Amino acid sequence: MKLVFHGGGYDRDNRELNLKAIELSGEKKPVIAYIPAQSYDSEVDFRDFVKEHQKYGLRQFLYFPIDYPFDNTLKRELLKADIIHLSGGNTFHFLKYLKEHKVFNDLKNFAKKGGILTGLSAGAIVMTPRISAATYPDFDCDENEVGLLNFTGMGLVKFEFFPHYSNSRRYDDELKKQSLKLKYPLYAAPDGAGVIVEEDKIKFVGKVACFFQGKKMFMN
Amino acid sequence: MTQLKLRRASQSDGLYDYSQFNKIDGEHPLRETNCDCFVDYRARHRKGAKIAAFNFGLARDMGLIAEDHPNVLTPELEKILLDKFSLVIINEYDILNKVHIDESEILPGKYMATKYLQLQHPNKQGKTSGDGRSIWNGCFKNRKGHWDVSSRGTGATRLSPATSIHNKFWKTGDPNISYGCGYCELDEGISTLFFSEVLHKNGLPTERVLLVLEYPKKISIVVRAHQNLIRPSHLFSHLKQGNVHALKSMLDYYIERQVLNKVWKDCPKGKNKYKYFLTKQTEIFAKMAANFEDEYIFCWLDWDGDNILMDGGIIDYGSVRQFGLFHAEYRYDDVQRYSTTIVEQKHKAKYIVQTFAQIVEFIQTGKKKNIKLFSEHWSQQHFDLIFQNVKDRNLVKKIGFKDQDIDFLLKNKKSLVKEFRKTFTYFERMRSKREVYQVADGITRDALFCMRDILRELPQMYLLRDNVIERKEFIDIMRSSYCKDKDLQQNHYRDRMVDQFQQQYLAIIQAVARKRKMRKFEVVLELTMRASIINKFDRVTGDSITLITDRILRDFKKLDNDEIYRILMDFVEYQNHNPDTKIHMDELHVKKSPIIRSMISIVRENREGL
Repeated sequence: MKLVFHGGGYDRDNRELNLKAIELSGEKKPVIAYIPAQSYDSEVDFRDFVKEHQKYGLRQFLYFPIDYPFDNTLKRELLKADIIHLSGGNTFHFLKYLKEHKVFNDLKNFAKKGGILTGLSAGAIVMTPRISAATYPDFDCDENEVGLLNFTGMGLVKFEFFPHYSNSRRYDDELKKQSLKLKYPLYAAPDGAGVIVEEDKIKFVGKVACFFQGKKMFMN
Repeated sequence: MTQLKLRRASQSDGLYDYSQFNKIDGEHPLRETNCDCFVDYRARHRKGAKIAAFNFGLARDMGLIAEDHPNVLTPELEKILLDKFSLVIINEYDILNKVHIDESEILPGKYMATKYLQLQHPNKQGKTSGDGRSIWNGCFKNRKGHWDVSSRGTGATRLSPATSIHNKFWKTGDPNISYGCGYCELDEGISTLFFSEVLHKNGLPTERVLLVLEYPKKISIVVRAHQNLIRPSHLFSHLKQGNVHALKSMLDYYIERQVLNKVWKDCPKGKNKYKYFLTKQTEIFAKMAANFEDEYIFCWLDWDGDNILMDGGIIDYGSVRQFGLFHAEYRYDDVQRYSTTIVEQKHKAKYIVQTFAQIVEFIQTGKKKNIKLFSEHWSQQHFDLIFQNVKDRNLVKKIGFKDQDIDFLLKNKKSLVKEFRKTFTYFERMRSKREVYQVADGITRDALFCMRDILRELPQMYLLRDNVIERKEFIDIMRSSYCKDKDLQQNHYRDRMVDQFQQQYLAIIQAVARKRKMRKFEVVLELTMRASIINKFDRVTGDSITLITDRILRDFKKLDNDEIYRILMDFVEYQNHNPDTKIHMDELHVKKSPIIRSMISIVRENREGL
């Protein structure tokens, strides 16, 4: 599988990770689909996304909101893309509609068959086994505005991912505490940083921290 | 930075200047026309008001509050709003029945209820019809222009249909008569506020709500403002009465206001101004009719020229709707009669222009000729020309083209655009096999296709495939929830039209690409981004506005004024379909609250409706 996890930030902050995703596709000008975490206000985000990716020479884009009804013609085009990017936003909202509109399993299969799946913040969290990382810390978590009860994510990797990480005591205390509940590592990436998974290899871009069994270490 | 903080702190301590509100005192230049066009009322202060909503943006646009005034209702602002606008007229009933009114409660100024023609009124000459529950608070002028300020729900006037029908004066708030009691309900104020701000944001001229005052039992006063609140019916009443002096006086007043507001910058003086007026009005009404049709705005236009402003602005939102699809056969049921349909609006607008031509002739010659003699008047052909041009412009704009490309297409590829519009209209106006049926407030027959959907998705399909899409795919993308299988039985003509739509659409793109020396995919990509905003999936409809108002009123007691305004701003930006002005919601610093989430859900669920 080829996956890219973005810690957050604007598209321009993620240049290295974006270029890596393009490289992973093996295409010079891959087709890239953009799935916003929520359609509300997402047309403007899509515009920014396109503008940034045009700088890398990309020319074929698909905007595919999943929280309102869509046509199967478009869904087929989505799954034909080389790269599918899952945007940031409210993680609970995103997961609810990915499942409700039956895109969730399609994306898992897309990734398993070699498609490049990239996610930023909420989009990255939904690729992990559970979306618990959206629930903490209290001072910086998503509101479960849709009343989601099942937090099971795509489970494409055996780690959890915490975006918008800030190297500070109050974040560290919370993340160490949370890591004690997990059997696998919890990677925390600040804006612009991230994790690249290519089959069984894992690479880190920027200052990514790993929290495991109550301890913290930096990965590079 | 320190200086700024100090300044703001002192302002929040009560040093904002609200003296501009004092200019709104009942005085109005319309009084000087001497054309028996209003009834004057004294008024008294009305107790028990709370401010339900205040439109800070409009107050800033008008220059009533400082540009840097925060969106916060200060105690001083609240006081002046209540002092100025919480009023009820002392009407004929009060005078005849010698209702005791404390002298100290009587306000110093007088307020006009203006006379105009109304088709639902027994008197068809406008002698006794007009503002039945409204008064004009005054005219506010500053360097930003002249604004008319008027309030709805300020008491029963003698101009309401109820007075004429029952031949008696009504006590304000009389529960025995709903329409005519002089009151206005709170939901009317809130729905007008939200609806008018969305349309204003999207560039449609409209009255705007400055303030909604709330009284017990969900009664309200709605204060509205616009640069010129004169309606065609203000003129038509004098025409019907054959009073050329009053007609001229009113027309001169209207023209002067347009000049003062610099809307008509090159208006000649002397008699030539009437021809100028007619040219301008023809353009205004042709453009308005085309825009209404293309934005699916249902506004009940009729020969009386009542439900519209002279400058093409929307007024009185009671029966105004925005459809999600082109529901061509919807008619509003006004008990005594059905309204016009969205398709018939054009003919009514054109007839109003015909009446303007009759007016100009009457003023210039002193002879009132039969309206039928103006059916071949040059203004009628001019109307058709402008109407068609605006329709062409609107369509290429909806595709997603920028202004310079639109100008190029209309100048150099006019026939291509026209042909494409014919094809587009074929799909837009296709109706379901289900015949006309009853809905809550009228009758309708369903449209089948959502043209926004195809205009939004088509460019990205071309971007990905670099080829046309299959006929079935094309239909599936734009198929609305009203469209049943029986509506889509095999139809060779429709198949040909699908092919034609795509050929013409691509030819237009190719023409722009050649002109801009760009590759086709670059143009298509630009269209993809712009069309996603212009043809957004969620679009407000009349039904959704009604439900949104109910939703807001459900939580009304929990929301303060500042929150209501934040919700308004957020909602209006969410419904901004202009790719050139669309901004990130983050820039409004608004947190998406549960109420906003409900509103989005309501818009989504009703996006194809009435």
